[in-house]
Amino acid sequence: MTYTLTIEPLGEEIEVEEGQTILDAALRAGIYLPHACGHGLCGTCKVDVLDGEVDHGDASPFALMDFERDEGKTLACECRLQSDVTIEADIDEDEDARRIKVKDFDCEVAEITNLTHDVKGITFKINGDTIDFQAGQYVNVTLPGVDGTRAFSIANPPSENDKIELQVRLVKGGKGTTYIHENLKLGDKIKISGPYGRFITRKSRGGAKLFLAGGTGVSSPRSMILELLGEGYSEPITLIHGVRTRNDLYGFDEFTALASKHPNFTYIPALSDADGDGDWSGSKGFVHDAAKEHFGGIFAGQTAYLCGPPPMIDACITALMRGRLFERDIFTEKFLTQNDAAQTKSPLFKRI
Amino acid sequence: MAVKKMGLKQKYAHLTRGLDWETTYEKMDDVFPYDKFEGIKITDWSKWEDPFRLTMDSYWKFQAEKERKLYAVIDAFAQNNGQTNISDARYVNVLKLFLTGISPEEYQAHRGFAFTGRHLRGVGPRVACQQQSLDELRHFQTQCHTISHFNKFFNGLSEFRTMHDRVFYLSVPKSFFDDARTSGPFEFMVAIGFAFEYVLTNLLFVPFMSGAAYNGDMSTVTFGFSAQSDESRHMTLGIEVIKFLLEQHPDNLPIVQEWVDKWFWRGFRLLGLVSMMMDYMLPKKVMSWKEAWEIYFVEAGGTLFKDLERYGLKMPKYHEQATEACEHISHQLWGLLYQLSHVAGLHAWMPSDEDMDWLSEKYPNTFDKYYRPRFELWKQQEAEGKRFYFNGLLQLCHTCQLPMTFTEPDDPTTTCFRESEYEGQHFHFCSDGCKDIFDREPEKYISSWLPIQQIFQGNCGGPTVPDVLKWYMFGPNDGAEYVGSEDHKLWESWKNTTTKEAAE
Repeated sequence: MTYTLTIEPLGEEIEVEEGQTILDAALRAGIYLPHACGHGLCGTCKVDVLDGEVDHGDASPFALMDFERDEGKTLACECRLQSDVTIEADIDEDEDARRIKVKDFDCEVAEITNLTHDVKGITFKINGDTIDFQAGQYVNVTLPGVDGTRAFSIANPPSENDKIELQVRLVKGGKGTTYIHENLKLGDKIKISGPYGRFITRKSRGGAKLFLAGGTGVSSPRSMILELLGEGYSEPITLIHGVRTRNDLYGFDEFTALASKHPNFTYIPALSDADGDGDWSGSKGFVHDAAKEHFGGIFAGQTAYLCGPPPMIDACITALMRGRLFERDIFTEKFLTQNDAAQTKSPLFKRI
Repeated sequence: MAVKKMGLKQKYAHLTRGLDWETTYEKMDDVFPYDKFEGIKITDWSKWEDPFRLTMDSYWKFQAEKERKLYAVIDAFAQNNGQTNISDARYVNVLKLFLTGISPEEYQAHRGFAFTGRHLRGVGPRVACQQQSLDELRHFQTQCHTISHFNKFFNGLSEFRTMHDRVFYLSVPKSFFDDARTSGPFEFMVAIGFAFEYVLTNLLFVPFMSGAAYNGDMSTVTFGFSAQSDESRHMTLGIEVIKFLLEQHPDNLPIVQEWVDKWFWRGFRLLGLVSMMMDYMLPKKVMSWKEAWEIYFVEAGGTLFKDLERYGLKMPKYHEQATEACEHISHQLWGLLYQLSHVAGLHAWMPSDEDMDWLSEKYPNTFDKYYRPRFELWKQQEAEGKRFYFNGLLQLCHTCQLPMTFTEPDDPTTTCFRESEYEGQHFHFCSDGCKDIFDREPEKYISSWLPIQQIFQGNCGGPTVPDVLKWYMFGPNDGAEYVGSEDHKLWESWKNTTTKEAAE
């Protein structure tokens, strides 16, 4: 038995299991609600119930007062749903996020390209439909014989709405990516749902944009950059794409061509292990090293978009903050798993 | 078209922002004279993000209901003679320590936040400080009211205000807050808002409140809950302060680092009083001080400082020494109080055999090796009718004002002495941490009011021990050994009555 929870002012709808708290459900869906103690004592996670029936659980009478219960408040960390419910939480409305309904698409594999020795580019043609999405968002792919769905970022810009391009690295022991690399063939019919995610271009901010990507993490930035350049965005755009060796680098020709066509776009590929590539004259080191070198360690004034494996994101956040770019100007693509939720985290940062 | 509904954040902004103004016929720097001299640079006050969006209007509603609930519990506790249902009368000494050593600091915090709120020119932190100021006053009042019930029956509680200002061991918490309140507004915020309310508060409140619950004191548990619902706001304020200062200007980092180092060490020394409460004073134990330190500082604090490292802020200096010292401080301080309880406002006693075994289990590296033999000797002397008291005046650390009782890092058999010379005078310290604090601001600390020095200077009621104790306003039965004390006899009489009633 599940209920639908609508979270205002985002308008986001999520499913909540019976007995699951709405805080838990929201965090697992990637929606940050302010919270602290996690067991009904402090009141940090207080929200307004606009519609529906809730159970307050073990909310302390000092953290959720009687008059507040009468006014329709509840504590997200203790609240369980008794019906479909709409809440309003103390979170920032995201003026750049459009509310796009998730849809299911019947797709067909139209193209498979070897981007590197272990990354394949897959293009799905959408049968009889088009996909509306924001650059940076992802889709869930259902693969035959693989339990659940697998999430991949969309690599094509939203203007190319009749197809979905994904960049998939083979993960050792990963059932989904192994299937894609070994079994998927042209003409296969695949179910894809989307778009999902809140990693999107913050167009309302204007100003310089810095994309830091590791490995296949470059797929979202590709979509975002192609869209920005296509729309004639004239402020500086920088893409730093880090991979291990020259053999792991893809998109080089495309981004190099874009950089020579658009003077406001700078492309910096970086190799963390360039020893075997004697003729490599580009950046050497990790993404954050290349970023520090290029910007002289000062990042103030940028809006940064980070996409890649957790250690890369972690190192980049530190480099950015040491270079005086803080949480409000840093956006990361992050999928919360059960493990992440169980990790002890200080309340210093909300999103990053 | 319908007007779009305002989000909570927008509503809050309309209710709380734009209410102040830039002064014109007085200079802003004259109106806010204190927020620049510390060297902190603020470039944009509007970047302050309210950690807790609360208007004054709803603030009053909240606090009123909390009060109603708390006072209902206090009344019920009194009517049901709750004092007879605590675990043991030794527990009341925890309340004595709390009321004389902690509650007055709530009041100091109230005054400190009122002052700081007045002197920060950004409207966001000003409102937050004013609310916290009122919270702290409420905590002080509710603690007095809750504990006043015990004052009807037990010694050592009635003169807590005077005791706080005069008694030698109470100058430890008093000097801590005096130091914070005589700092600039930003240092006060880092000292009390961040280091104390955020990094260390769980080590104070959780042990006290869980201790009260384990030992049957429901009225104290309730004021704890009532206060904890405010603490969350205080903790978020502490976090916001540190973020705000570090993000505003790179020059703020070294200043903030020095404050964090200083207030971590001062807080650690102050919490030594909590360590002996946890390990020795609670008849029913909650957890050991070492366990609490591991959970609340090493783990939670470690996670926090890992995140703060992104700003370039490092773990507080000497944090390794503090963690290492957790194997020792509760035993050393309780040993000290045991020897000095005849000149203290509360009782001390030697742990039972069962409690000693608990300590051996919780401190396998140190208790049996260094402390059990000493305690067993004292127990043996008690059995021979020769209860040991130390007669003499102690040398105090010039910074934390605790007696020089702590041992060298890595050598628990040698007392740690440090010394600095300033303008031809010698100053003594219990640790590297305390010496560093003095050396950084000697002019400030040479004016400290040190209770032992003040006795020698003739400022504490007279030259003899009874003169001084009278000036401390100690009652004749407030201190010394618990066994055989008035508190003990009263408790035994209650227990006999209950046993008799049960037998009939």
